[in-house]
Amino acid sequence: MSGGATRRDALRVMGASIALSALAGCDEPDEFGHPLHGRGRGVASEDAVFATTLELDGLGRGVLVRTRGGHPIKVEGNPRHPASLGASDVFLESAPLSLHAPERSRQALQHGRPAAPGASRDAFNGLRGEGLRIVTGPLSSPTLRRLVAEALAANPGSTWHVHDPMADPASQAAALAAFGEAVEVLPDLRAARTMLCLGADPLGHGPAQLALARAWQAGRPRLLVAEASPSLTGARADRRLALHPAEFEPLARAIATELGVAGLVAGAAHPAAASLAASLREAGSEALILTGRGQSAAVHAIAHAINAHLGSRALRFVPAPAAGGAEMAPLEEAMRANEVSRLLLLDVNPAHDRAGFAAAMGRVVHSVHIAERVDETGRVASWHLPLNHPLESWGDSRAFDGTPSIRQPVARSPGGEVMGAVEALLALLGWEGTGRDAVRETWRGAWGEGDFESKWEEALEAGVAGESVPAASLALRADWDLPGRPIPPGLAAHFAPDPHLRAGAFAHEAWLQELPRPLTRLSWGNAALVAPETAARLGLAPGDEVELSLGGESLRAPVLPLAGQAVDCVTLPLGFGRRAGGPVGEGRGFHAAALRPADGAWVVPDLTLRPTGRRVALIARESQPGLEPDAAKVIGPGERLPPFAPTPSLHQPWSYPGAAWAMAIDLDACIGCNACAIACQAENNVPVVGPEDMARGRGLHWLRVEKHDRPEDRSVFQPVPCMHCEKAPCEPVCPVNATLHDHEGLNAMVYPRCIGTRTCSNNCPYKVRRFNFEDHRRRVDTPARNPDVALRPRGVMEKCTYCTHRIQAARAEGRLDTVETACARACPTRAILFGDLNEPQSDVARARQDPRSYLMLEQLGTRPRTSYLARVEEGGA
Amino acid sequence: MAPLFTPRADARLRLALVVAALLAVLALALGYAWARSGSTWAIGKPTEQPIPFSHAVHAGQLGLDCGFCHSNAARGASAGMPSGELCLGCHQRVWNVTAQFAPVQAAVDTGMATQWASVHRLPDHVRFHHAAHLAAGMTCATCHGAVETMPRTVRAETLSMGWCLDCHRDPRSRGLTPVGLGAQPYVHAGVEVPPLTRCTVCHK
Repeated sequence: MSGGATRRDALRVMGASIALSALAGCDEPDEFGHPLHGRGRGVASEDAVFATTLELDGLGRGVLVRTRGGHPIKVEGNPRHPASLGASDVFLESAPLSLHAPERSRQALQHGRPAAPGASRDAFNGLRGEGLRIVTGPLSSPTLRRLVAEALAANPGSTWHVHDPMADPASQAAALAAFGEAVEVLPDLRAARTMLCLGADPLGHGPAQLALARAWQAGRPRLLVAEASPSLTGARADRRLALHPAEFEPLARAIATELGVAGLVAGAAHPAAASLAASLREAGSEALILTGRGQSAAVHAIAHAINAHLGSRALRFVPAPAAGGAEMAPLEEAMRANEVSRLLLLDVNPAHDRAGFAAAMGRVVHSVHIAERVDETGRVASWHLPLNHPLESWGDSRAFDGTPSIRQPVARSPGGEVMGAVEALLALLGWEGTGRDAVRETWRGAWGEGDFESKWEEALEAGVAGESVPAASLALRADWDLPGRPIPPGLAAHFAPDPHLRAGAFAHEAWLQELPRPLTRLSWGNAALVAPETAARLGLAPGDEVELSLGGESLRAPVLPLAGQAVDCVTLPLGFGRRAGGPVGEGRGFHAAALRPADGAWVVPDLTLRPTGRRVALIARESQPGLEPDAAKVIGPGERLPPFAPTPSLHQPWSYPGAAWAMAIDLDACIGCNACAIACQAENNVPVVGPEDMARGRGLHWLRVEKHDRPEDRSVFQPVPCMHCEKAPCEPVCPVNATLHDHEGLNAMVYPRCIGTRTCSNNCPYKVRRFNFEDHRRRVDTPARNPDVALRPRGVMEKCTYCTHRIQAARAEGRLDTVETACARACPTRAILFGDLNEPQSDVARARQDPRSYLMLEQLGTRPRTSYLARVEEGGA
Repeated sequence: MAPLFTPRADARLRLALVVAALLAVLALALGYAWARSGSTWAIGKPTEQPIPFSHAVHAGQLGLDCGFCHSNAARGASAGMPSGELCLGCHQRVWNVTAQFAPVQAAVDTGMATQWASVHRLPDHVRFHHAAHLAAGMTCATCHGAVETMPRTVRAETLSMGWCLDCHRDPRSRGLTPVGLGAQPYVHAGVEVPPLTRCTVCHK
């Protein structure tokens, strides 16, 4: 610089006395306290990526885990794994958070009191012997299945029970009736042209969601959906029907009658059947019927028969990877009859999911519960032993299509009494060896001794350990029809997994509790979902408390009228009302599982509902006012939107000599799964604010997913990150220049400069700026945080940065053409594209040329860098 | 009754005002000097480390290259710390004081990391890339000082934002040749913005 005082020098002198206090107050010691990690072995770099496997409902999904200094900081999909294909969902993304959860158990407990070190041997010793009962979740893991079989053989008269609150017994019964084998239907949405979903939700959360959503986006079959309660598939449907649970079987029978399916025991009539049957007949072998949870075995069987009748090529059958094990009801009966003296519960929580289980289990003299946290079951068990997080222990798994993969630990186990599931079964058997040895032993048996080592290394490197199971060719049996007792009309209870918590297995994940559910928009709680017509009939407003009675049990719950809900059908989301398992999940919402019958039925008729006159505050994030109706555009097929015509501006134009970053979001591909929102939270250290602040609208999610209503109670989902406007309204109004324009078009936020006037947020028409009302840094600053993103103190604004740290990392590695933001990386349908507008061949530059491309609130002249591609619907806007 | 104010009251008041003003200036000057002094930025202050490691011995007397231990510096954002194996590769033969190497031995045995206290840790909102700076022609000593003379590693420069900007405003005048971003000229509203002084270059 030339001589003389500069602006910065003047500021330095002026700020000298302020610096005194600032030095003491601003940079707290812990901000600088992060140590340097010198690894024991290997290279000097602190970063490493591992391929491993995480399970949902017992089925594996391959992931790549990014670690820093030995700590997992981000989970992303493994492109080579068929259940991930590089995408991720809310469950995968939140895995590093639970790894560092403070409420995880670290020591063995006997009757709730800490046991002496090494005493867990006694727990296992007491299990060995006649009449052992082992309860696990659904197991696809070849090693765990092998060890369970060994344990059964070693202990005469023992039984393996599978507790799966997500299981659908009717579907299994129908497969047995139709084909004589317990097979699962794997739909091929690429090959389908017309798909009818009867309560099925292939685009909704589940172990195959990522693969199904990717295939749906590639094939784009016409979606006809009949469902009792709105789902993500229904939201995206081309035609949607809201049906009471009693109506499904008549509809299915009527369609089968229309199509002339052979073997139908009884026919039926339904007003919607003719047109649906015509659509299916027209698509012929490219038609497909899918059935989902809550359907009777008859409906499942009719769907099998129609698919066989049409000769559908859009599906194949595979043996269920996690099949096997006895049911839970006989165990419960035996426990009540005092016939069970040895009980092992491995990573399951039946005391929450099954109403009478805890009381029955209290009669067992020696029960050992092994889980990550002391949950409802752990409180009743005589022993609780701590279990490793899946990211800490060896294991293996199979995907929904049977593809095996190895799970390798990416973080160190806390040690002490904490053990993995494989180690637990080894301890039960009294065998020597580590979990790794046991997993290798399984695969040595499968692969042979020859080139085992190279295959093992390859499986760890790739994250996939073999091929999918070949499809079974099955012929439909003649006596496939299963006419059962029809569901009567009238008020019915419809149990459903919560989109984020499943049946409660993820209730401890604060990210998932806080993120508004895609359709109900609720966070930190659930509500009994009723149709607006039912609510009007009973005079119920959102948040009104009702008493629900079913089969002698009753509970109180708030109601939420939801458009698209079938009349007289009350949907009760599971997963809430936890009484143990950590402060995040305890006491949120109501315990719907308490009403659920022991046979695990998803639909139960004869529900009674009585308003109590009380009110419960529901925490819901509604769509941002002011954006409607033009924010999410919907056009007809082939329709073109006018090209962008820039309005004149007084602001100086910027030049972008290098890259000009931009994002394009395809509303036609978005299924509203929320993966982007959680990926953003994980990537950018976005704090959890808690239910009180969520109720005040102080949530900090940088990326929100808006829901816009469409006819037939369908929805358009719209992810809204920062628009990074070229004429950003937030920039000129900042009094301290804390938000400013970057040379690549990024709207940057300088946290240390921000003084928290919030003027920028007031001036932002898209309302994407978030304000820190509290200092969340201490809670976020765990080893799971992303060290590449700064933590924000209290009183400053924050917002989407277009993952500027990823851009910088890519630049340093010389791969600017492959920059992906965290949200784009997570998206299962590739609805979010990110890239350089100055590069004409980039995806995002081409998306800008698409006739569906538009800018949100274009008329304001803000020239956003984030553009949208309009949704296409039959019938158009 | 005696007058409330003596004839000298005005003079006293003026003197007091002058003294107060001088004190205020002095306080500001002292505060400024303190804020700018090296000790405020922890220059020359050693930190407690798990092992009393001496750069003076390794880099000075033995003449080891920095990259021998910090091998990631030329490749990545962090310079990287040597693995336990690398330390013990030599120290199983020379200066084999078992007690001193316990943390490193434990890291090798358990697969955990040795946690070294960082002497040069930058604030949370700063991004620093070692390889980019080495590629521009900087040496380790530019920021880390004469490490080969330090028996206990200490900070040699303030590493303040102003200190960084001294270079970032005009790196070529110091004989450095920035690569990539730094090579792009950039003009906004007729004013040339030095490419390396944009916020997002160094800040997260």
